[in-house]
Formats: sequence, C-alpha cells, structure tokens
Amino acid sequence: MIEVFIISAAVILISIALAFIRLIIGPTIPDRIVGLDTINTLVIVGMILFGAAFKESIYIDVAIVYALLSFVTTMLVAKYLEGGRM
Amino acid sequence: MMFEVLQIVVPILTVAAAIVAVYFRDLLSATIALAAMSLLLSMEFYILQAPDVAIAEAGVGACLTTAILIFSIKATKRMEDEK
Repeated sequence: MIEVFIISAAVILISIALAFIRLIIGPTIPDRIVGLDTINTLVIVGMILFGAAFKESIYIDVAIVYALLSFVTTMLVAKYLEGGRM
Repeated sequence: MMFEVLQIVVPILTVAAAIVAVYFRDLLSATIALAAMSLLLSMEFYILQAPDVAIAEAGVGACLTTAILIFSIKATKRMEDEK
C-alpha cells in the first residue's frame, strides 16, 4: 500500500521541479506567477498525500489553512500588474 | 528511501529559490522567488513532521511578507538600479 504513496510523491516532486524551472526562467511576470501558483497547488496536494500516508488528521487541517492563505500572493501580483489602486 | 530523497531534493530547491531571489534585478520577480522559497521551506518543515511550524511559516512567509513587499514595490519603484 505504501508504494502508491511513494509513486505519487515522486510524481508530485517532479511536477514541482518543472514548475520551479518555469518560475526561474520565465521571461515575463505572468509566467512566474503561474509557476508559483502551480507550486502552491502541488504543495497542498503533497500535504494531503502525507496526511493520508501517515494517517494523521492534523496534516489535513494544515493543508486546509494553507489552501485558504495561498491565493493572496497571486491575487496581489495580479492587482499590481493590473495597475491603478490596490 | 523516499523520505531520504525528499530530504535531499526539497532543501536543494529551497536554496536554489533563495539564490535566484538574490540574483534577480526585477524586484517583483525576486518577491515571487522569495514566496516560492518560503513555500518550499514550509514543505520541508512539513516533511520533518512539524505541522504547527509549517502553518506559521506558510501564513507569515508566503502570505504576509509577500503582501507587504508588493505594497512597498507599488509605493516605490520596481527595477533595481544597475551599478
């Protein structure tokens, strides 16, 4: 049963690395912010995956709070790129 | 075995994000790289089984610090001067 979690964690880690490469080499700001948002979502998925693997419910709560907080960065950069008042 | 691989790869990504955040001339890109660094550091705390530290790091580092830095970039200027 643990092999399923190991394979899933490996796939998520490769995806995080690919999104991180896009965050580094992205020529424009929207490329970078989409890369950061993808890393946000993948980290939340990884947290829930660890919670399922370790059978601890506190990890799921952390993932919920992080999912509530993580959109603020993306929204603020979008408001900055839009211009005008924030 | 998988946790050793995670313990190697996630700190490497964290340090790479920190170095990239130092070397960017565009301060908005540097702020985004700093948010990614804080996010990966939170993931590292999480892998080390300290979820309360991870939740504090995620709330302060990825949310509040980035918001304050973007407000200050908005108030000043975006590009760092070349010397």
